[in-house]
Amino acid sequence: MKEIKSKIIESIKATYPEATEKDYDGNRLDFYVNKQCVPSVLTLLKSGLGYIHLSHIAFVDWLEEGEFELVYIVWSPTDKLKIFVRARVSRENPLMPNIESIWRQANTYQREAREMYGIQFEGFEAPHDFVLEDWEDMPPMRRDFDTEAYADKTFFHRPGREDALDVREAIIERSREEIPDFAKKYSR
Amino acid sequence: MINDKNSQKIVDIIQNWARKHSLFVLAYGTGCGAIEIPPTMTSRYDAERFGIRGAATPRQADVLLITGYLTTKTLKRVIRVYEQMQDPKYIIGFGSCTINGGMYYDSYNTIKVLDKYLPVDVYINGCMPRPESVISGFVKLQQLIQEGKGNGAKQYKENLDYYRANQKKIIPNWVMPDYNW
Repeated sequence: MKEIKSKIIESIKATYPEATEKDYDGNRLDFYVNKQCVPSVLTLLKSGLGYIHLSHIAFVDWLEEGEFELVYIVWSPTDKLKIFVRARVSRENPLMPNIESIWRQANTYQREAREMYGIQFEGFEAPHDFVLEDWEDMPPMRRDFDTEAYADKTFFHRPGREDALDVREAIIERSREEIPDFAKKYSR
Repeated sequence: MINDKNSQKIVDIIQNWARKHSLFVLAYGTGCGAIEIPPTMTSRYDAERFGIRGAATPRQADVLLITGYLTTKTLKRVIRVYEQMQDPKYIIGFGSCTINGGMYYDSYNTIKVLDKYLPVDVYINGCMPRPESVISGFVKLQQLIQEGKGNGAKQYKENLDYYRANQKKIIPNWVMPDYNW
């Protein structure tokens, strides 16, 4: 596994010297690249190194840093190695290169990103509604979307939930159990 | 003779008795609760001894089970399904999600109170209700039918404006056919 990883790092770095890698135990290897390089890095991995399977595209909202991170996870059936290609894009103008021409199944993930996070892709054409219908508010998976306020505004609520207990506090009350300090800040 | 008040009462009793023993349930599951229906229907709990059976299409069914959370997208389909069903028709709300939102009380995409959008005859609480409580809910519905109180469909017809206003509040693009029988 070590030799395979170093071989891959070498061949990626030869073409993209600005890419940084992070090695993990087991069959995982991460690359951090610029967003413009994403299609060419993925093409190199697919046609040059045998990473023919796109497992997933994951999206992370780094609200504090004002960026979205896209994680392209590819897999090679011969190397048995997962490679995570990570790229960041600003939250103000989230425009990413389109990789639909490399893997057609990226279409579904890009539609999800567009609807749930508002990330746009260059020259990407697909029907607009994916999971939501007639959605007019902010994309709902963004971290600054207040889902409880939206639910209060949109839906009816049946009274009677106001005195619902916080689970952690109820456990402490009942069994005098100690909980760590870091857990307390998540209480309601 | 049938116009006579007492004869009508007897006809009603017979009609309700027949209705209560042949409840055809539409095979349509909306949330996680649909997983409790197969054990209810099969040999261990055997709901067929109460006359509860599956029906393939809405126009053949009497009972619509809302099994769990209902997203706004599914609500649109459920309204269409419910309006296609022919009288007599009943709705059973299934699980705490239909009562007050359950664990999805703050979700942006699921409705919290089902009876604002569709008339519910019987609620079964629990998350999820076991087959025993499902059967007890059906028995309750049978009691209501026997007493002539299972009138959700009538309520819907008489207060259609109220229900429509609530439905249109969360379905802005209303492109639905009218089923007015």
